[in-house]
Amino acid sequence: MSFYTVVAAFLVVSLVSVVFWFLAPKENQTVWRSTVILSLSMMFLMWAFTYLAQLHPLVAPRRADLRPEFAE
Amino acid sequence: MPEKYEAMFRSAEMSLVQLYIPQEIGRDSVYSLGDQGLVQFRDLNTKIRSFQRTFVPEVRRLDNLQRQYRYFYKLLCQHDIKIFEETEEEVPKGTFRMAPRSSKIDDHIENGSLIEERMVQLVEASEQLELRKSDLEQFRHVLQAGDEFFANAAGFSHSESQDESIPSSVSFVTGTIPRAKAGTLEQILWRVLRGNLFFKHVQLPEPLYDVKAKTTVLKDAFIVFSHGDLILQRVKKVAESLDANLYDVSDNAGARSKQLNEVNSRLADVYTVLDTTNTTLETELYAIAKELQVWNSEVAREKAVYETLNLFDYDSNRKTLIGEGWVPKDELNSLQGQLARLTTSMGVDVPSIVQVLETNKCPPTFHRTNKFTDAFQNICDCYGTPSYREVNPGLPTVVTFPFMFAIMFGDMGHGMLMTMVAGLLVFYEKTLGKMKRDEIFDMAYSGRYILLLMGLFSIYTGFLYNDMFSRSLTLFKSGWKWPSHWELYETIEAKSVGTYPFGLDSAWHGTENALLFSNSYKMKLSVLLGFVHMSYSYMFSLVNALYFKNWIDIVGNFIPGLLFMQGIFGYLSVCIVYKWSVDWIKDGRVAPGLLNTLINMFLAPGTVEEELYPHQAKVQVFLLIMALICVPCLLLIKPIHYKLTHPDNAYESVTSNETSEETVAEHNGAVAKAGDDDDDEEGTGHGEEFGDVVIHQVIHTIEFCLNSVSHTASYLRLWALSLAHAQLSTVLWTMTIEIAFGMTGVVGVIMTVVLFTMWFVLTCVILVLMEGTSAMLHSLRLHWIESMSKFFVGEGTPYMPFHFEPIDVESMKQE
Repeated sequence: MSFYTVVAAFLVVSLVSVVFWFLAPKENQTVWRSTVILSLSMMFLMWAFTYLAQLHPLVAPRRADLRPEFAE
Repeated sequence: MPEKYEAMFRSAEMSLVQLYIPQEIGRDSVYSLGDQGLVQFRDLNTKIRSFQRTFVPEVRRLDNLQRQYRYFYKLLCQHDIKIFEETEEEVPKGTFRMAPRSSKIDDHIENGSLIEERMVQLVEASEQLELRKSDLEQFRHVLQAGDEFFANAAGFSHSESQDESIPSSVSFVTGTIPRAKAGTLEQILWRVLRGNLFFKHVQLPEPLYDVKAKTTVLKDAFIVFSHGDLILQRVKKVAESLDANLYDVSDNAGARSKQLNEVNSRLADVYTVLDTTNTTLETELYAIAKELQVWNSEVAREKAVYETLNLFDYDSNRKTLIGEGWVPKDELNSLQGQLARLTTSMGVDVPSIVQVLETNKCPPTFHRTNKFTDAFQNICDCYGTPSYREVNPGLPTVVTFPFMFAIMFGDMGHGMLMTMVAGLLVFYEKTLGKMKRDEIFDMAYSGRYILLLMGLFSIYTGFLYNDMFSRSLTLFKSGWKWPSHWELYETIEAKSVGTYPFGLDSAWHGTENALLFSNSYKMKLSVLLGFVHMSYSYMFSLVNALYFKNWIDIVGNFIPGLLFMQGIFGYLSVCIVYKWSVDWIKDGRVAPGLLNTLINMFLAPGTVEEELYPHQAKVQVFLLIMALICVPCLLLIKPIHYKLTHPDNAYESVTSNETSEETVAEHNGAVAKAGDDDDDEEGTGHGEEFGDVVIHQVIHTIEFCLNSVSHTASYLRLWALSLAHAQLSTVLWTMTIEIAFGMTGVVGVIMTVVLFTMWFVLTCVILVLMEGTSAMLHSLRLHWIESMSKFFVGEGTPYMPFHFEPIDVESMKQE
């Protein structure tokens, strides 16, 4: 679990995108390609930023309202 | 048939064609073209006034017919007869349909006039009868009121003179008057006759038809007793000037009842005749109602055809119509096939000829949309029609618009609600498509695919924000571990044991510093996504420049702009990602604030207080110098290039008289030529002066540099709105449904039901509908301003081929 997870996910998404580029349906090909690949990349970016933001956190969750029974 | 170009990334290639159509099949040819919607005709007769054109008489005849149809429609509405509506089935493209024979249209015209004449007669007759009826009814009322009048009058005279009848010197006037004017009449008469009269009036029970007001009004019957003929004449005049109807009534009770009988029998006759007339009228109207829509749409088409034919040039020597218009290049064959089929089926010897013209006119922009992309394309076309063959912003909008929306609307629950609604609209689109829709519903219906994608992406972003109706899910093992034991109300802090693989860690939910963390995360997220979105859009300007072989735009605009933007905001984005990927706590270093880093990069270049990475100062100075160099490059390269490639014409036209004369002549020539060419403003390369280039470039430079700052800041709305949305849904949850959770028993049940209803209704109305609308508007702005300003020129004209539109009944409404 580190920065390389993001790199790996990036490679997977790029691979899927490239594969889809060639497998896109013939009818409305431009729309299919653009829509699917752009969706994949935006979803990847958003996931990656969320993941990276928690990779090396500088603040830790803090609370005072947990009951002691909750302890594992 | 060659495969059609998809025409979504760029608009379809168009060609200007000239059509030579023999006059006798002109009408049929245009009909079949109107069925297909292939050609956008240009007006070849701009110099000829609209009433001097070839087919004006035909258009006039049809105009008159349409007026008659509108008249019929008005009558139908007056008589509350529903028009028989038939939904026209769409003509599939490529099918061949013959035009209706022109004799059919002639029949329509003849029929229209006949029916109109008959209708006018019937309506007039019924109006006349209506008048007679009201006249007689008023007479009857006056007669009935007469009994009362004379009884009273007799009562007076009885007490005085013991005489049954009124003295013969007393004469009277009777009639009806609108109730509002009865008082006025009495006052005027009182003054005119100096009080020498007896005035009496009674209110009539039912409102009566008034000729002047053309509606029914409440009326009074009145009687005026006075002396002398002269005075009586005067009374009559006054009464008539106040819109009174006067009736002669006998003062004898026996004569009156005879009169009454007579009136009643006449009235009965009038009733019968009126009834028959109205029945006839309505029968005819019912017959019309069945056909009117079909007639109207046929005539509307015929008129559209002739109006199009009026755009054609008519060669009377060769009996040929010459039309000019824009056709998508890949549909030329189908156009030719269409005309050829028509010629063979009509059995005409002379074929129609299609000739492609070379032109420097700018063709219209035509994107082939389908039901999915149409709404997205509309979003972009609202802002401006893309120039011919420019990159179409509608294509990336399909994804970026709903995604930007979803970043602001991230909540799985709300996304699901939206997806369900949109899913219904999409699932029943065929049924709903045929329905009559009001304005708001039509908006939702036409945007159903936008709604669907917005809902789906909202589910995804909600998943990443770990929000479902403001609650969090614990799908994965949390990356935080709470201490093993603690006292009640003791502040505890979790320890990091891993990274949550997908989305925000559920451990953050409900913590004291959750907002601190999510703010930092969402702010950086919006800056990063904004930067990515803008860079992506900016790349389209490179694609455009490469396509149009506009090298100077790449060198003078694209590259300096790119370096400027990447040097500052690209660097910031890289820093954000870099800072995230370094484990500052393990390394035992202080994590520098990025905001200060960026500010110091400009204010104190060369000094770095807390280092993010080695050699940071040098890198930053280099980037700053690069960005600064880019500004004069952006400002100067294009004007200098213009100066070099367009030498000295600015000076010569001033210094030498000859050339200036020449240019004037040339100018005149150009005007004449443009006149010959009938229309279109675009002459050959209308001279852009050096000054124009400089001013344009100065504006572009200032705009670009300021905008790269303000647009990046503008993407922070993603953070603000998603934060507001999350907070609002939390507040709604705690203030409604959460209250019910602690309660038990009957109260608990009732409270749960009530509060759940409240929560759900408010969720739908405020969070999904209102917040959704606002997020949509913000997303729209991000596309129109922040994204499209990076590459969009938008100087195109939309392609509007001649095509028969389905005719609505409502179109007959306007006068």
